Amino acid sequence: MKRGVRGKLIAVAADGALILYFVFALFPIAWMIILSLKPANELFSTYFSFTPTLDSYQTVLGAGSDEGVPFLRFFVNSLVVSLGAVGLSLVIGLPAAYAAARWRFRGSENLMFTLLSFRFAPELTVIIPLFVLYQQLGLFDTYLGMIWVLQLVTLPLIVWIMRSYFSDLSPELEQAALLDGYTRKQAFFKVALPLVKPGIAAVSLLAFIFAWNNFVFPLILTSSEAQTVTVGALSFLGGDRPKYNLTAAAALVSVIPPLLLALTIQRYLVRGLSFGAVKS
Amino acid sequence: MRTAPTAAISLRGIHKSYGKNIALDGLDLDVAEGEFFCLLGPSGAGKTTTLKTVAGLEEPRAGTVSLDGTDMTGVEPYDRGVAMCFESYALYPHRSAYDNLASPLRSPRYKLPAAEARERVGAVADLLGIGALLERPVGRLSNGQRQRVALGRVLVRPARAFLLDEPLSHLDAKLRQAMRAELKAIGAVRRTTTLYVTHDSVEALALGDRIGVIREGRIVQTGTREEIWHQPYDTFVARSFGRPRINLLPGTVTADGAFMSADRFFEIPLTSPAAPPVRSVAPGTAVQIGVRPRDLSLGSPALGPGAIELVGSVYITEVLGRATEVTVRLGGQHLSLVVPRADAAGLRPDTPVRLTVRPESLLLFAADDAEGRPGRRITE
Repeated sequence: MKRGVRGKLIAVAADGALILYFVFALFPIAWMIILSLKPANELFSTYFSFTPTLDSYQTVLGAGSDEGVPFLRFFVNSLVVSLGAVGLSLVIGLPAAYAAARWRFRGSENLMFTLLSFRFAPELTVIIPLFVLYQQLGLFDTYLGMIWVLQLVTLPLIVWIMRSYFSDLSPELEQAALLDGYTRKQAFFKVALPLVKPGIAAVSLLAFIFAWNNFVFPLILTSSEAQTVTVGALSFLGGDRPKYNLTAAAALVSVIPPLLLALTIQRYLVRGLSFGAVKS
Repeated sequence: MRTAPTAAISLRGIHKSYGKNIALDGLDLDVAEGEFFCLLGPSGAGKTTTLKTVAGLEEPRAGTVSLDGTDMTGVEPYDRGVAMCFESYALYPHRSAYDNLASPLRSPRYKLPAAEARERVGAVADLLGIGALLERPVGRLSNGQRQRVALGRVLVRPARAFLLDEPLSHLDAKLRQAMRAELKAIGAVRRTTTLYVTHDSVEALALGDRIGVIREGRIVQTGTREEIWHQPYDTFVARSFGRPRINLLPGTVTADGAFMSADRFFEIPLTSPAAPPVRSVAPGTAVQIGVRPRDLSLGSPALGPGAIELVGSVYITEVLGRATEVTVRLGGQHLSLVVPRADAAGLRPDTPVRLTVRPESLLLFAADDAEGRPGRRITE
């Protein structure tokens, strides 16, 4: 009995702690939603009573008729650059991950470590030389330049995570394909690749989010043509007075693509890998 | 030793290591055209590596693999024309049983028109009794069914040789026995050179036209089941076959050419007219005498004149169904024998018993050496 009461108390305390955490974690988002719905003249009041308006969203999505900030263009830029970066990383990274998982060649571990080091080196350490390079190569403020530089973010992620997915796959499956008369390339595309689909879905989403959220590269390496939402949302803060309502609305709009993507591929994220493939 | 002019599968001096572990250490093997060859050995002896080397999935560090007399060095697995059944089955988990079976027939090398492929898959599936399961994903098949699908994928297309890696080892005892009988009855298996890997000596004896025993990456002995059984190369081969295991009793050769047990409890003459001649063994040599449990009998009369008699006492008896395994104490040694259940009826521990054995069923081996390497046989 005593233990029962104590157990209940612990459960209640745990729930309380969780609720506290949720409030803490969700508060900024709630605050942003409130901000985005406030009329511009009530922006700096701390009352919670105000007449909600969608004006901010209209302004943001109305392609900056009034503010001179082409937010929709930034949005499209973000989509192109992030999808492009993930796509390029998949094309390069999947074969690389497969090779790294299946074969140990001279320098393979060093290569993998170098790739990983792109992730733990702060982007700011390389941004100045990159800026100079981009200026001279004509990559500054271009889609190609952004997709290229985002490989620093997406490629290591995809290679490292996909490598472990490929390692978990029994090499005997591809060996069976070889003996069935398929070439090594066909064994990769027909056997190995379909089996790591859940992994590809998960890592693509993750890479997309990282690319989408990247701030430093577009801040320094773009100006207007290829600028993305992360930097673009800040444009509303310039000028004579900061328009926090517009920034909040822009930020909320820019959450939509990653959110939609996460929802669509959710079923892949939870599905187990190659169940019943190889009894062990 | 007689070798066929061109062996279907021929391995010469194969060396293969994984890091510091030596998997194959100068392995030589010949499998004749159309032969069913069983490769037997404990786990880690290099059986699977041998198969994968033949298939071209593993590249040996040294040595050559030839198929039908053609050197296969540098030939890709898909060009070697062999089919393999993996111990893990290696079925494609994202496909149905049908798609798994049809996989070879859709590949560039063995491509058949769809209708023909369907017919072929149907025939193989019926042969293996999995015709009703074809639409199921392999994840929802039982172990026995998966094993059949894996075997079917091997049988479905023409092959120069079948490589079967413990295909029956994960089945339950009853199914294994049934499949063992079926396997050899399959026409394709009868006609095609087959290299079959197993750790089960019963399977090897039942299936193999010839048997090869592998230990630590080398072939110890190859031969027919009779050769392997009656003339084992060493104590390792002798111990690998027969349950209960062969009795191996340590001792020495006396000055007058008899065997004296290590504790000097009993002596067995080695020079009787009926016994196989002993290669010149110097007196005092440490040897082991081997006798299989089923070659020993209780009491004297059955084996007629010339039989060797040993006297000991019952240590323990164990009923094995129709027969009984009796362990007899001879001084410090234990000797097991298998006798009809009726003969062992009155035996209690410590009952004195008389054992007889025909001299020709005795095997004499050198003692195992200090590093535990098995002693070679020294009777002819």
